[in-house]
Amino acid sequence: MNERRKFGEVLTGLTGLTLTLLLSFCLVIGLIFILSRTPLRTIYFFFVGAFTNRYYLGNMLNVAVPLVFTGLGISIAFKASVFNLGGEGQIYAGGLAATAVCLAMPAANGFLGGLSALAGAAVLSGAIAGVSGFFRMKWNTDEMISSFLLSSAVVLAANYFITGPLGDPKNNLLATLAVGPQYGLARIFPPSKLNISAFFAMAAALMVFFFMYKSRAGYEMRMCGLNREFSRYGGINVSKYLVLPMIMSGALHGLGGGLMVLGTYGATIEGYSFGMGWNGIAVALIAKNNPLGLIPAAFLFAYLDAGAKAAMLNSDVTFEIAAIAQSFIFYFVTAQALYGFARKRRRA
Amino acid sequence: MTNSPFSIPLVHNAIDIMTPFLLAGIGGLFTELAGMLNIALEGLILTGAFFSIVFAAATGNLFLGILLGLLCAMALAYMFGAITLYMRANVFITGLATNLFASGFTIVLAYHLFKTKGVIQFPGIPKLPALVVPPLLQRIPVVGDILFGHNVIIYVTWAIVLLSALVIYRTPFGLRLRGTGLNAKTIVSLGLNPRRYQLAGILISGLTCGLAGAMLSVELAAFVPEISSGRGWIALVAIYLGNKTPWGIFVASFVFGMAESISNYAQGSIRVPVEFILALPYVFTVVAMILYSIFRYVRSSRG
Repeated sequence: MNERRKFGEVLTGLTGLTLTLLLSFCLVIGLIFILSRTPLRTIYFFFVGAFTNRYYLGNMLNVAVPLVFTGLGISIAFKASVFNLGGEGQIYAGGLAATAVCLAMPAANGFLGGLSALAGAAVLSGAIAGVSGFFRMKWNTDEMISSFLLSSAVVLAANYFITGPLGDPKNNLLATLAVGPQYGLARIFPPSKLNISAFFAMAAALMVFFFMYKSRAGYEMRMCGLNREFSRYGGINVSKYLVLPMIMSGALHGLGGGLMVLGTYGATIEGYSFGMGWNGIAVALIAKNNPLGLIPAAFLFAYLDAGAKAAMLNSDVTFEIAAIAQSFIFYFVTAQALYGFARKRRRA
Repeated sequence: MTNSPFSIPLVHNAIDIMTPFLLAGIGGLFTELAGMLNIALEGLILTGAFFSIVFAAATGNLFLGILLGLLCAMALAYMFGAITLYMRANVFITGLATNLFASGFTIVLAYHLFKTKGVIQFPGIPKLPALVVPPLLQRIPVVGDILFGHNVIIYVTWAIVLLSALVIYRTPFGLRLRGTGLNAKTIVSLGLNPRRYQLAGILISGLTCGLAGAMLSVELAAFVPEISSGRGWIALVAIYLGNKTPWGIFVASFVFGMAESISNYAQGSIRVPVEFILALPYVFTVVAMILYSIFRYVRSSRG
């Protein structure tokens, strides 16, 4: 009985999601008809463009990688009922920290150096988020607001380092000096930028899944998320689970940023990760905070992104149409009315 | 702006800078009191900024343009509210959606209409009328700077603050709005529809955010992509810092205004990287927030 109900829930979820996507895609098609002078061509590239060649396809998958990390970071915090609204700053700082570590060791071994760069990214971003968790634990300072404010300050401070002390005067972009070639992650789908960080993303999703659902700490964390008072009576160290999820959330954001730098850009470029933090929240909510659901949710996001890029290059609309398409999906993805409709249909 | 020798440009500018925060904060207060976290303020400001100036340029009438801009911001607010309330969607994610939609839509539309994704200048836009008083009055120390010489939107904002305090605390509507936030079931038991009050709150936030946006673009006589640049978020912070009261939001917005005014001033005179100065308002706020929560913590543990 229980199994069947679970299956039914999944089915309802999928039907609801299909409805969401259909509705959003219809709206996007309508918008394209208004904006584009060659609407059919634009629609073709928007929906199919990402699959027309290896370059687009690989880059699409590569865009999904950091989203998996930011989505995981948000999910962990959400599951513990703490809110990390500082993802933008944390992912940005992570890339910068990885760059700084690499630049400090120009002659290091690629593997060990890369590992320490990623460790640096995780530690810095974890600390930035952890500060908000610490104040929440200590004095009940709202972590959602403080993480957002700190993140905004961190973005500005990071910009200073990117253009100032670590800046590359010879680069036309506002960017840091390039990290050594030995740090570059192996590309696995040339000519695209897809690299082995895709495997790291999958591994991270699995690890977070096992942590959340199969470990004691994960169980306690989820209990605190469900009911903190109840957990306190149950003998769980409640204050620990205000700080730990924030640190883990920040660290995952930092890893996402670090991997973007090592795998894709080879340097920190100003604004390279902007939007990834917000989109991570959306991806996490679409996946209902399930670590394994994050992978398809991130793909969906990356697909819209890639479609808009293909449409921009091959037709007459601007890239920002992706933001509109994504916003339609956000609007409807949690709409219970659509899911209720799906549920009724199934019973009938 | 005055050239009086007694003027304190710091305070005068702070009042100018704080106004969008204050407007958006007051609007957000209505939704907050109705029990909804409104993170769409940012997108509503952006929408108001874009459409106010575009319509002002198109109609040649500043007042009409701003009015139409406000209507556009309210239309977006309605979309946000209707989807959230009537399709029962998560308010946080529809808020994010509204911000994303506003930022995408303004750029796509700007590209469609003006063939640029950059700054769009409207040199023909008339200036906002300002309150000009005799120099004698303007020269009154501090008071002159605070009270006089601002543009009309600032005075309208003050009226809005007063009015919203009256509406929130002295009218049945305000009582029911607050009731919705405290316990929606009570409102249902009175035979009223809590969603109606939540939607009203969202529409009010659309109106005030639209005005905040209009002030930004009209003062500049240009539309800059992402001109709201985080003001909606700061307004949200001001609501919390201001303890969810109109007067509290007024004070919190003034603190932000001062912080930004000081950092603008410091940019010209202190040799510190500009990025750090730009980060100051955020740092100030976070420190203020932490101090405030320590204060509250100590007080509650004593009592």
